Amino acid sequence: MSNGISFILNGEKVVSKGKSGDRLLDILRDEFNLTGTKCGCKEGECGACSVLIDGKLANSCMVALGSIAGSEVVTIEGYSKTKRFQALSDAYAEFSAVQCGFCIPGMVLASEALLSKNPHPSESEIREGISGNLCRCTGYNAIVHAIQTASEKGAGLW
Amino acid sequence: MDSITNSIKKRDHDPKISGRAKYVDDLRFEGMLYGKILRSTIACGIIKGIHIPDLPSGYTIVDKNDVPGVNIVHVVDDDTPVFSDGTVNYVGEPILMVVGEDQKVIKQILSEIIVDYEEAEPVLDMMKSETVFYHYGYTKGNPEKAFREADKIIDETFHTGYQEHVYMEVQGMIGFYENGKSIVRGSMQCPYYVHTAVKKVMGAQTDQEVEVIQEEMGGAFGGKEDYPSILGSQVAVAAKKVGRPVKCVFEREEDIICTSKRHPATMRYRAAIKDNRIAAIQADVVYNCGAYTTLSPVVLQRGLIGATGVYTFDNIRVEGKGVKTNTTPNGAFRGFGGPQTFFAIEMFMNHLAKEVGSDPLPFKRSYLSKQGDTTATSGKYHFYIPMPEMLEKILKASDYERKYESYKRQTGRYRKGIGLSMVYHGCGFTGSGERDMIKGVVKLHKNVNNTVEILTAGTDMGQGLKTTFSKIVAKRLEIPIDQIIIRNPDTDRVPNSGPTAASRSLMVVGRLLDKAALKLKECWVDEEEQEITERYVHPDFVIPWDLNTFQGDAYPDNAWSVNVVEVEVDTLTAVSKVIGAWGVYDVGTPIDMAIIQGQMQGGFLQGIGYGSIELMDVNEKGIIRNNTLSDYIIPTAMDVPHLETDVVNYPYIEGPFGGKGAGELPAVGGAPAYVSAMESALGKNLYKTPFSQEDAMKVLEEIKK
Amino acid sequence: MVILDNGYIPNTLDEALQIRSENKVIPYAGGTDLMIKAEDVPYLFLNKLAELQQISVDGDMIRIGAGCTYTSLLDSPITPKVLKEAIRLIAAPAIRNLGTVGGNICNASPKADSALIFYVSDSKLRLRSVKGERILPIEDFYVGRGKTVLQPDELLIEILMPKKYLDNYYYQKVGARQALAISRVAFVGLFGMEDGKITCCSTAYGSVSDTILRFRNLEAMLLGKTIAEAKELKGSFLAEYDKAIVPIRGRVSADYRKRVCMNLLEDYLTQNGI
Repeated sequence: MSNGISFILNGEKVVSKGKSGDRLLDILRDEFNLTGTKCGCKEGECGACSVLIDGKLANSCMVALGSIAGSEVVTIEGYSKTKRFQALSDAYAEFSAVQCGFCIPGMVLASEALLSKNPHPSESEIREGISGNLCRCTGYNAIVHAIQTASEKGAGLW
Repeated sequence: MDSITNSIKKRDHDPKISGRAKYVDDLRFEGMLYGKILRSTIACGIIKGIHIPDLPSGYTIVDKNDVPGVNIVHVVDDDTPVFSDGTVNYVGEPILMVVGEDQKVIKQILSEIIVDYEEAEPVLDMMKSETVFYHYGYTKGNPEKAFREADKIIDETFHTGYQEHVYMEVQGMIGFYENGKSIVRGSMQCPYYVHTAVKKVMGAQTDQEVEVIQEEMGGAFGGKEDYPSILGSQVAVAAKKVGRPVKCVFEREEDIICTSKRHPATMRYRAAIKDNRIAAIQADVVYNCGAYTTLSPVVLQRGLIGATGVYTFDNIRVEGKGVKTNTTPNGAFRGFGGPQTFFAIEMFMNHLAKEVGSDPLPFKRSYLSKQGDTTATSGKYHFYIPMPEMLEKILKASDYERKYESYKRQTGRYRKGIGLSMVYHGCGFTGSGERDMIKGVVKLHKNVNNTVEILTAGTDMGQGLKTTFSKIVAKRLEIPIDQIIIRNPDTDRVPNSGPTAASRSLMVVGRLLDKAALKLKECWVDEEEQEITERYVHPDFVIPWDLNTFQGDAYPDNAWSVNVVEVEVDTLTAVSKVIGAWGVYDVGTPIDMAIIQGQMQGGFLQGIGYGSIELMDVNEKGIIRNNTLSDYIIPTAMDVPHLETDVVNYPYIEGPFGGKGAGELPAVGGAPAYVSAMESALGKNLYKTPFSQEDAMKVLEEIKK
Repeated sequence: MVILDNGYIPNTLDEALQIRSENKVIPYAGGTDLMIKAEDVPYLFLNKLAELQQISVDGDMIRIGAGCTYTSLLDSPITPKVLKEAIRLIAAPAIRNLGTVGGNICNASPKADSALIFYVSDSKLRLRSVKGERILPIEDFYVGRGKTVLQPDELLIEILMPKKYLDNYYYQKVGARQALAISRVAFVGLFGMEDGKITCCSTAYGSVSDTILRFRNLEAMLLGKTIAEAKELKGSFLAEYDKAIVPIRGRVSADYRKRVCMNLLEDYLTQNGI
């Protein structure tokens, strides 16, 4: 029997006391007090719980703790310390793309996942990249423009 | 552009984008317990008995017997129970709450509770309901005569369905009871609505015995206008009983099943046609209120006021009923009763145009209201209506006229269609509500360090109120915006400026802040503490509204819009893609262009959803089957890739810097524009929203034959 | 291997099979179907087993590891276009990063997007246990709604997809919106000819019934025929399919599903000259 499941959380090794079938979302929010990752549906349909696992976008509500043993998990708290985050934040601010804000941490990580794979996406590629992140407030235009702007102005970052 | 229109960085951008902003479910308090509600599984009946299993220590049941005051949640009329009074009237009705430390244990307890119901036959069809909650009607001119003398009478019935808010943050509240005081924190649009309700429920004698605090809100759209009074009352009662803070945050399925939605409606429209002109319009409207009254009277009123749309007719008869069914009580949703009747009148006008051999747009244009016209409720359009300018913009941007013509003749697998709708949204609270009921008050508190705090009950649900209010005050005081303080409202600290609803925040509350700032500027003393209070004054140009006769100016002004939607329908699968969407809006002077654009784009997309994919129904047992986000479908970023919005700037004299109501208008015109586009693609008259793939397939099959 | 409180993380496929043979476990590949319920059951975490994540060409077959995620298949140049087209329409990027073809197949839903493509292409499945291996056609894997012949000690290792006939395909998925759309009707057809005679006219139908539908006996009507002969038979061919496809009601009506299937089948024939 192991004494807990260890993984790397925002760059630091941690050990969770959770059970292997627990949702990563609940572990992040309840055990590690990282409430920046939000719960919108618990069925992988809204993306509010998006995190990066080994660099890839994932819905943390759909991820069992046991499946990420040894993996690198990045939440908005960790990501918000990076230069890339700053470029995205400035771009989102330029278009007032943050309304109620609930979808935004997930949306920002989806932006990162998209740009790290495709630093100069077309508009339709952007829309596909955030297609799993529901936003009820903005109609998406401002977010799409923000990502476009970040990819243009943040040359060299991605 | 006026400089106030220039966009600035939103004041709540940083905390929200970094993940630092705390919404109610992010908050933990010492000793806090969780509460989960046991809900009725049947639509109509009496509770004969409730069998509670042996509870583990530390777990408590809270029900109607624990309500210290009245077991009623005040909304408008008083019929909504806090916890079931022994009857259940809809699937999802709250019966009791289980409170304890571990949510898994609570769920287990809930699953073991057995309720013995004596079931009764539910009424689910609004047209079969025998309980009329509200009944209003009004007349203009002499419609009876016009119908008698008509060459022909066109008689059509329209149906609009539910719409679910799908705010990304579900409803949630935390209740506290400390030293004889009830405190409620949570996601809510109207702290003072919650305050009033909780006072009565807790039997409080003074305002100070209840404190309500709005926490960061992850979207609302009207869904958190009245419902928080119910959940707030429930957690307040629970907190007093257990003596510890109690948090209740809904599951998404629960939220979809039990919270308010847009009223489904059935609307029969008749037109008297004489010499190929409309001589009279009669509308008979039924709104499905659900099991309790909640906000229905006002929703119905607004729907009826707008029943004849953006047109001036000389002879009108409108009658409307809000009826009871054994379904979730319906309430506020952006547009608040308007989207239903505006859908009906826009589609009706499309069809009437064809009846007299005309295309919709030129026909509709010939009836467009103008400044000075008498309104349907015998009020007056006091201000210029910039419809011609908005039409010019949108026709150019969308190429509507050429496309409409060319889409009349199509062959091949894919058919395109284009539709146009024109709507308005009355700004502010309906009728004399501002003057007689709300009587809004705002304060500006200047600190010795010359910072100024805005004190209103206005809540920012994403619409940017913290930014726009700050802009108004900063600009009027001519001080940097960083000197303005604005916090989430706490009833202990802010006056009641009224609900954050009815597209009134900028226009009414913003105007009060503007006036207060003007006064403060005039008497400003550096490094001195000062406070200005400003109270609502009804504009004197308004023709007084009489609810009994349903006559007068229901709103001081309207905000107007034109919407065009273009679709492409795959005739093999009946799937339609929205290939273009354009909206032009008159919202007075935009207080911040990016914020206004965000409102327009977000609202427009919601309207398109309402027209196309947002299907919800109740089965024969009164159960809402589409209660998950995989089943209740809202648009993703890929669904309307081409959406353009624009404004015209006609300052409203009574608004702050010319601003007018903007929040709800964009949600009104999307559905009729979409369904009109489907009419154009399919070449057939259509009568319902949402108009789904299945609906389209049925029409395609008919056409084949 | 790592043994958790209520789960196992094998380091190799052999370890996974060993655990599977000795314990009652639920194989966890991507988790995107399992975690909707998130029950407290012992999971066998396969998501990091590289042995299950290979894709290669092997003669006239494409071998796709059951643990290949949708994203990895989209990124691979080996993945056939028809499969990519189906995968691209699954959910959204985050789900595609985790979800696997193996999970899609074993979940046994008639709405399974990738399974539909394997069905129409006569793909075979390789199942393995500590006792040995077996290979069976994918249609023999299903025995009714949500039910497969996977034994409690077996794992799905890979899919063997014949390369032939994959290039000329007709695929259409009907969902409620452009992304995050559970399939409401899905149609796929492959078509091939040799020496002027039809050698492949496979069609399969997803989300219309309890399982994916395919009618080999009806396909036989056109196999070996010329285009001209097939045109003569078009009417009766469609009539037979009209009888054979009996959709069930789901989130959309049976009528709607039927109409879509028949419309697409007819168009598939027309597009191929029939």
